[in-house]
Amino acid sequence: METALGKLPEVAAFLDSAPDAMIVANRDGFIVLANAQAEKLFGYSRERLLGEKVEMLLPERYRGNHPQHRERFAADPRVRPMGANLDLFGRRADGTEFPVEISLSPLHVADQVLVSSAIRDITERKRFQQALQDKNAELARAHEAKDRFLATMSHELRTPLNAILGFTGTLLMKLPGPLNTDQEKQLRTVQSSAKHLLALINDLLDLAKIESGKVQLRLEPTEYCSVLEEVAGSLRPLAESKGLQLRLSLPRTETIVRTDRRALSQIILNMVNNAIKFTEHGSVNLVLLSRQMDGREMVELSVQDTGVGIRTEDQTKLFAAFTQVDAGASRTREGTGLGLYLSHKLADLLGGTVRVQSEFGKGSTFTLLLPAEGA
Amino acid sequence: MSRPILLIEDNAANLELMTYLLRAFRHETISAASGQEGIRLAQQERPRAILCDIQMPGMDGFAVVRALKADPVTKPIPVVAVTALAMVGDRDRIVAAGFDGYVSKPIVPETFVSEVERFLAAERR
Repeated sequence: METALGKLPEVAAFLDSAPDAMIVANRDGFIVLANAQAEKLFGYSRERLLGEKVEMLLPERYRGNHPQHRERFAADPRVRPMGANLDLFGRRADGTEFPVEISLSPLHVADQVLVSSAIRDITERKRFQQALQDKNAELARAHEAKDRFLATMSHELRTPLNAILGFTGTLLMKLPGPLNTDQEKQLRTVQSSAKHLLALINDLLDLAKIESGKVQLRLEPTEYCSVLEEVAGSLRPLAESKGLQLRLSLPRTETIVRTDRRALSQIILNMVNNAIKFTEHGSVNLVLLSRQMDGREMVELSVQDTGVGIRTEDQTKLFAAFTQVDAGASRTREGTGLGLYLSHKLADLLGGTVRVQSEFGKGSTFTLLLPAEGA
Repeated sequence: MSRPILLIEDNAANLELMTYLLRAFRHETISAASGQEGIRLAQQERPRAILCDIQMPGMDGFAVVRALKADPVTKPIPVVAVTALAMVGDRDRIVAAGFDGYVSKPIVPETFVSEVERFLAAERR
């Protein structure tokens, strides 16, 4: 039998060209054929392998069970890959072991069923897997450290601000006693600076959370108009203190979007707050409509102001972090310069976009587009 | 003489601020600089309400509220977290831990006392 196979030069040549080590054994486990890769992989010459039991290629601890495996294969001879989820090992002539993946297939020659096995050394793959696992664990640890750092920073920065804002507040409330005009003015400056610092901290931490993918959004059907009314209600006093009208134009029917209420209201708050900030005369209008865009049902919120407007060349800079376009106004406007950037990031997370249209000197329209519920 | 409000806070400046504000609105206060001390005072003085920081060395606010709510003597006293843990999700986590209320730092001095008084009213009911 061995000779019958061994003498087929085309079979040998064919096996030698295979990328894997190939071993053919008979039913009793004696090796009848081995290719060049098998010699190289196990460190035995072909002459040493032929006529030996395949067990010689296994670590000693697996040898005892091998005849049983062979019986099981003989009882149901079919192609079967092994090693994908098993830890299989080969043993070289020098006694060293290496992880392998094996594919078995029956080989019918004359009346005999031989077992052909293709054996692949997966040392490299295992090493990559391990390296990948290590890397992932390391990344997870770095991520955790970053989260802890952010939480600590948030806490540690707020703690001293509590005393600063708190005691500035008690003084301005005149709890300890009356203030003269200069004292009051200077304390107001301390207060607004501290509030600005707090806003910066909040925005930065929000941003860090977004960028590290840590923002947990709860998407649920949300009534858009109620969010708008809430935001308008909270900013109306600010608008009115500047003599601006804040107008809402809402559709007659309910507008439901599937979104995270907090994120949505943060975006709108930002847009409307900006509109009020950059408008000295006139009004800020909030217009909500449903519209089709590229065959999708979208909900569009426009925040239109009659403010300073933005030059075309500045419009692209708008959504970058820490930029506040110089509107040509003499006084700088307070703000962290992070608001629009944050809104843009949040809108992105909600599957929407923020766009701007503006004419310098006439006003701006910021538009938030979100997919409608079920769209 | 009405029972005092207990402040558990390890940061001296923040303790002084809360004490000042509450006393300015005629509330009596007592204070503890650590969780253990706070629990002891709570059992001894049975305050009307407890304002408790979360991050403190040794016993933190979570452990304090657990102990207070496990003791039948202190269980009915409203415990409000006053904390600089103010990131998204912190409020939910803190209320879930057994606190009756949550006030984030920096506190708003103009409204702080009335926020605290809401819990005093709740206690009387």
